[in-house]
Amino acid sequence: MRRPLAVVVAVALAAGVAVAAVAASNYRPFAASAGQAVVVQRAHAGAAAPSFNKRITFLVIGSDSGAPKFGRGGSAERGRADSIHLVVVDPVRKQGIVLGFPRDSYVPIAGHGTAKITGAMAFGGPPLLIHTMERLTGIHIDYFVLTSFDGLSDMVSRVGGVQVNVDMNISDHAAGANLRRGPQRLGGAAALAYARARKSVPGGDFTRSRHQAQILLGGLATFQRQTKQDPARVMKWLAIMSDEVKTNLPVGELLRLALMARGFPPSRLRNVVVPGAAGNAGGASVVRLSSSAYPLFARIRAGRYG
Amino acid sequence: MVPLAALLVAALLLVTGCTSDKGEPSTTGQSQTSGTIAAAKSLRIEVRSSAQGPERAFNAKAAAKKATPNMERFLRRYLTVAFLDPGQQKTGWRDLLVLFDGSVKAAAKRDLDSLSLGSGAAEVKSVQPDSAKASVLFLYRGSRPAGATVKLNFEGSAEAEKGSGPVRLQSVFQMLSTPQGWRIAAYQSRTGEAG
Repeated sequence: MRRPLAVVVAVALAAGVAVAAVAASNYRPFAASAGQAVVVQRAHAGAAAPSFNKRITFLVIGSDSGAPKFGRGGSAERGRADSIHLVVVDPVRKQGIVLGFPRDSYVPIAGHGTAKITGAMAFGGPPLLIHTMERLTGIHIDYFVLTSFDGLSDMVSRVGGVQVNVDMNISDHAAGANLRRGPQRLGGAAALAYARARKSVPGGDFTRSRHQAQILLGGLATFQRQTKQDPARVMKWLAIMSDEVKTNLPVGELLRLALMARGFPPSRLRNVVVPGAAGNAGGASVVRLSSSAYPLFARIRAGRYG
Repeated sequence: MVPLAALLVAALLLVTGCTSDKGEPSTTGQSQTSGTIAAAKSLRIEVRSSAQGPERAFNAKAAAKKATPNMERFLRRYLTVAFLDPGQQKTGWRDLLVLFDGSVKAAAKRDLDSLSLGSGAAEVKSVQPDSAKASVLFLYRGSRPAGATVKLNFEGSAEAEKGSGPVRLQSVFQMLSTPQGWRIAAYQSRTGEAG
């Protein structure tokens, strides 16, 4: 009888210990499931860039001054505007237009009668050029972006070149351009040459303006490609821009716009040059905008870019 | 014991609140438990940083060193409210959304599942950080950082009703320096999957 009693006591003790252990484990939250791996977090992905609820218009200016490497002294802001583009962007509909103006466009300039548009910046800096453009087109300009020969070539070199579909063979000694037709990556010097070539290309100033916009759009495509591969390239591009460009864009807005631009298809920005014809004013060759320019401005004001 | 514990928690709340950035909302809201605070205290972020600035006369190394502590504080705040404090869900992730620029806040609200514990937070009792690594490139304008790209990886272990499991974040944040501190102006973010 002693042995069974000992067994009963031992079993009872073991049971007591087990109950106590279970009780203890239940007392500690989650310990019962500590070894049980579960999916706490399912897979999710998301991405967003700054949203803008209204269209934005930039005046992109290339100055003929402020470029010591090209023997151009003075400041870019008080030079003549060699290249003039209105870039109208509708971030909501993801469409817009790059509207080029021949630099010899003969237009009213406040306080200076009617003169070549290129002179407006030399007369009164970017503010007078903006005023002239707004009065001419009726399109409100939010910001200006200004660079020089040095600025453009340095910027393109520092980002590693821009991809452009050169649309004609060009051999232009004055501009230093010697380019074969076709898609290619242009380095700083070649991009500047393509942007400057005028005398040897059919269409002269009009074609040059279209080529300048191609470089802008090629720059956008290059920016998108590079920042897709490495998102930190955004900051590198902005640092380069800060060195090579003058603008009235606050830095925060510049960053937001750059981030928005990563998702803006370049193909949705039409490259258009304002229609006009060569003419003469006081013995100087000028470009007189054609009557169809004004309905074009009206369409853009109305948000129609097609 | 209870009053002592409450005092300790209150003291911790106070200390953490006092060390938050000037002008930044405190991340230690009323919802935080002592477990959350302990998890936040154990969070170590390994930050590698560099800087981009003007081509001339710019000391990138010194600039990166100068800007890193503030960014580290921001990232600590982010990970705390996004992962270590499941109670944030009850507030509508208020303390998380304040870390986003106004231009992406609406999108962030929609993407909470890819930026934080998200809807899964309701099941989570606590999260312990395992590893947090960040690679930062600052953009300098003048003597101050104006923007930054942050690649952030976080791994933690969550305790839920049904058991325990990993939580993960892999994000690229494009950041903007504002008078209120750093803000996220764009993101690409994934949660819940191993890299």
